[in-house]
Amino acid sequence: MKFSYNFLQSFFKEKLPTPEELASLLMMHFFEVEEVKKVGKDYVLDIDILSSRAGDCLSHMGVAREISAITGMKYEWPNTDIKSGKTEIEDQISVNVRNACSRYVLSGVEGLNVKKSPAYIQNRLRTCGLKPINNVVDIVNYVMLETGQPLHAFDAEKIEGEKISVRYARKREKIVTLEEKRLELNESVLVISDKQSAIGVAGIKGGIVPEVDENTKTIYLEAANFDPKVIRRGSRDIGIRTDASLRFEHGVPLEFAKIASDRVVSLITKIAGGRAMKGRIDQSFEEEKEREITFDAEEVRNILGTEVPLKKMEKILRALEFKVQRNESSFSVKIPFFRKDVERKEDVVEEIGRIYGYENIEPCQPKESIVVSQEKEEENIEDLCKNMWQGFGFSESYNYSFINETGASFYQKDNLLEVEKPVSLEFKYLRPSLLPELLRNLKENEKTFEEVMIFEIGKIFYKSSNNSAKEEKKLGIISSSDDFYSLKGKINVFLSNLFVGDISYSSYEKEDIFDGLRSATVSLNGEVIGNFGEISEKTRNKLKIKSKAVIADFDFERLLEFYKETKTYEPIARFPSVIRDLSVLVFGETRYIEVAEKIRKEGGKTLKELTLFDVYEGEELGKNRKSFAFRLYFQDKGKTLSAETINKLQEKIINALDEVSGWKVRKK
Amino acid sequence: MQKEDIEKIKKKFLKEFESTETSKERKKVCKKYMEEELSSVFASLKNLSGESKAEVGKAANEFKHFILSQKESEKKETQEQSKLDVTLPGKEPRLGSIHPLTKLQKRCEKIFTRMGFVVADGPEMENEWYNFDALNFKEDHPVREMQDTFFIKQEDREKLSSKEKLLMRTHTSPVQARYMEKNGPPLRIIVPGRVFRNEATDSSHEINFYQIEGLMVGKDVSVANFKAVMGSFFRQLFEGNVEIRLRPSYFPFTEPSFETDVSCSICEKKGCSVCDQTGWTEIMGAGMVHPRVLENAKIDPTEFSGFAFGMGVDRIAAIERKIDDARLFYSGDLRFLKQF
Repeated sequence: MKFSYNFLQSFFKEKLPTPEELASLLMMHFFEVEEVKKVGKDYVLDIDILSSRAGDCLSHMGVAREISAITGMKYEWPNTDIKSGKTEIEDQISVNVRNACSRYVLSGVEGLNVKKSPAYIQNRLRTCGLKPINNVVDIVNYVMLETGQPLHAFDAEKIEGEKISVRYARKREKIVTLEEKRLELNESVLVISDKQSAIGVAGIKGGIVPEVDENTKTIYLEAANFDPKVIRRGSRDIGIRTDASLRFEHGVPLEFAKIASDRVVSLITKIAGGRAMKGRIDQSFEEEKEREITFDAEEVRNILGTEVPLKKMEKILRALEFKVQRNESSFSVKIPFFRKDVERKEDVVEEIGRIYGYENIEPCQPKESIVVSQEKEEENIEDLCKNMWQGFGFSESYNYSFINETGASFYQKDNLLEVEKPVSLEFKYLRPSLLPELLRNLKENEKTFEEVMIFEIGKIFYKSSNNSAKEEKKLGIISSSDDFYSLKGKINVFLSNLFVGDISYSSYEKEDIFDGLRSATVSLNGEVIGNFGEISEKTRNKLKIKSKAVIADFDFERLLEFYKETKTYEPIARFPSVIRDLSVLVFGETRYIEVAEKIRKEGGKTLKELTLFDVYEGEELGKNRKSFAFRLYFQDKGKTLSAETINKLQEKIINALDEVSGWKVRKK
Repeated sequence: MQKEDIEKIKKKFLKEFESTETSKERKKVCKKYMEEELSSVFASLKNLSGESKAEVGKAANEFKHFILSQKESEKKETQEQSKLDVTLPGKEPRLGSIHPLTKLQKRCEKIFTRMGFVVADGPEMENEWYNFDALNFKEDHPVREMQDTFFIKQEDREKLSSKEKLLMRTHTSPVQARYMEKNGPPLRIIVPGRVFRNEATDSSHEINFYQIEGLMVGKDVSVANFKAVMGSFFRQLFEGNVEIRLRPSYFPFTEPSFETDVSCSICEKKGCSVCDQTGWTEIMGAGMVHPRVLENAKIDPTEFSGFAFGMGVDRIAAIERKIDDARLFYSGDLRFLKQF
């Protein structure tokens, strides 16, 4: 909110610190001052009043009180003396509050002269961003800025019937605002109404009908307290936010209705002339109880970690208008009516702490003991994974947790979680997989880079079959510089280095983002942990991706279960190994694993290692034939193997392979 | 053997030497003449006498030195040829990159774990209870709307309890509540993680970003303790003698609440573009854990107290690395990512 320096000064006899000094004091003890700017002969201080203090500090009086507490300078409440005439307001008009209003105060002034308001009022309004209109309207706004209580003045002669009501609008009820804007209201908008129709949207905006203009002689002045929820909803529904609605939304202390009403009447009769009507209509439907909080100075010391002198505490609280009773270190304080935010002793400690100054608290290391956590350090494993993929040449990407319709089109809509009113359709659904965004990364980057290698570890969200919402962590990988086998190689190194378990691969066979025929499912000890392979033609066409890229998708949480820091040591072999090569002719569709398993089975324990070094498909092999070239490493833990033993074993393997119909070991 | 014979041999040598193509061949020629021709010349010396012996001997020696010098220059030449141009670029392995937010997060985690903090984690998809109610956000408090929350569409949402109403967490603070429920005091945790705001994006606002939440609860944990712990943290993070200062603020889940500023490590409080000429950078929201938050987690606020804080990782990374557009963090643009 914008505050006028001159306005703030009007509460003090002493000279205030300079605007800059004042801003820095407020910042350290109250709230942030976002700007200090010279406006004519005045300065504007833009103070960020947070919601906890909106009730008392969206007002110059509230901030003046803070200044007084911080600087020790004395401030005075504004004058509310009224000299009343003979006309009794209650003979003129009645008020009927039907809904959502906890207090309604109505006063009246007759015989006034509407003209321009004095320069000091006009200037202060302008400093605070309000436009001067005429003396009555300006004073009403001025007092709102002064006390924080929004008010409204009606031209008494323009009100139909001698009754004002507070009620909800009728369905499609219409009103024209002071700015001549036509509004159609709904039944949850609160209005002020005369006998005929709505004359104002309660707490938000006045209507044009009872407008105060240069011919106005008699006014009624409304100072009410409306239900914050109703004002917030109404303001949202009609799309109008005003200085008044802002204050009502946060809640205005009940007492201010009367104080502000008197202040306006006092100023109007002084400035615009006329006579105040006798008495006021004051309907209250709630009562504020005075709260009392007791605490000991020791509790203050325990929270702040410093000793604030008892007298100093007392002085701070009194300056903030708390009523203090102290017996040695034991305090009993009565909370002023305008401080709804102070509910318990911690709130009082904050008052002491901030005015005393947090800069006066000396840092002190905690004495509390440290508890060693028993939890698994998942974060560290995640780092190891990230570092490994970085080592493979991949860059870590962070993508949005949301996807748009295009991303969603790869999935069953029923399984997606949707967001209520997203700011942009780009964020309509929660991502059920990392892949759509990684595909987008590929598409964007392939304009600039020949090789795009990206990975991401992040959370995904979906609706499970029993309709419950799920959250899982995934590892996603995309590469335009790998093919299926080079990616498989990396995945195999990744899995076998960081995790413990038998790795197996099977065909993916579904057709979605992946090409079902050219993708695989990976398992550890038989448990599926992820899929990888080529992006399907359909996906690439749909997203207009040029590169023939491969992708991978791992269930990261499941993967973590296989992590083991300390694998058992395997003794280093003391005897040399012997190498033999073997080339096997098989059918075109024969899978590597079938042949390899056969060899392993026959080779037994002595066959230490088996590697494939060539796959050959030449015409001379015949139609639908190919050959696998294996390298076999024989080794025995206990002795050097003799040529004879190895020959025998090799013979056994060859025979077993030859026995399979259509397989043939090729003799060199 | 005459002096003229040696001249002939020399000519023959030169002819052979010059007809070679490789350094290896030239070495071979030198070797041949040294070992075969010259040794037979020297051997023949013993058949000569007097003046002719001296004359032929001298010529033979000169020839020997000639070959040696040829060999030497040849050697130099080969050495010269084997010399590497060290300015040629090396063959580089391909190395990827780690996201700058991961890097900063790790640095923060390391510093805090050295101070006895445990890294904790919680769901990104939260319910209203943990995100708001447990943290003392009152029902229908304007702050709930201020936070521009991503609520998840659910059937008959109004009928659900606040523990069933789902949303994307607006801060990492719900983990405070979750952790305290499971683990009683004393405790020190930090919670790095992704949070969400349903608001229009610009160069300093993203719909998702990262926070590091911290919580310390124990007997007599105070504002003075908070200042000390944060001072240690920021001095280590910014590698310098930075100062911290607390300013009053408001958060529903802390009381007292403060904004925490760190003195600008670039200009040392003199004022520069990074700190908007103020000498200070606002870096985290913090406060003493509100007693109602402790109560909600079944911790007795008369016995225990604590401090909590939350800072934006993206913002610190942006300041440190002079990144002027926060949206780059989530762009997946390799021109950006490969710099880290």
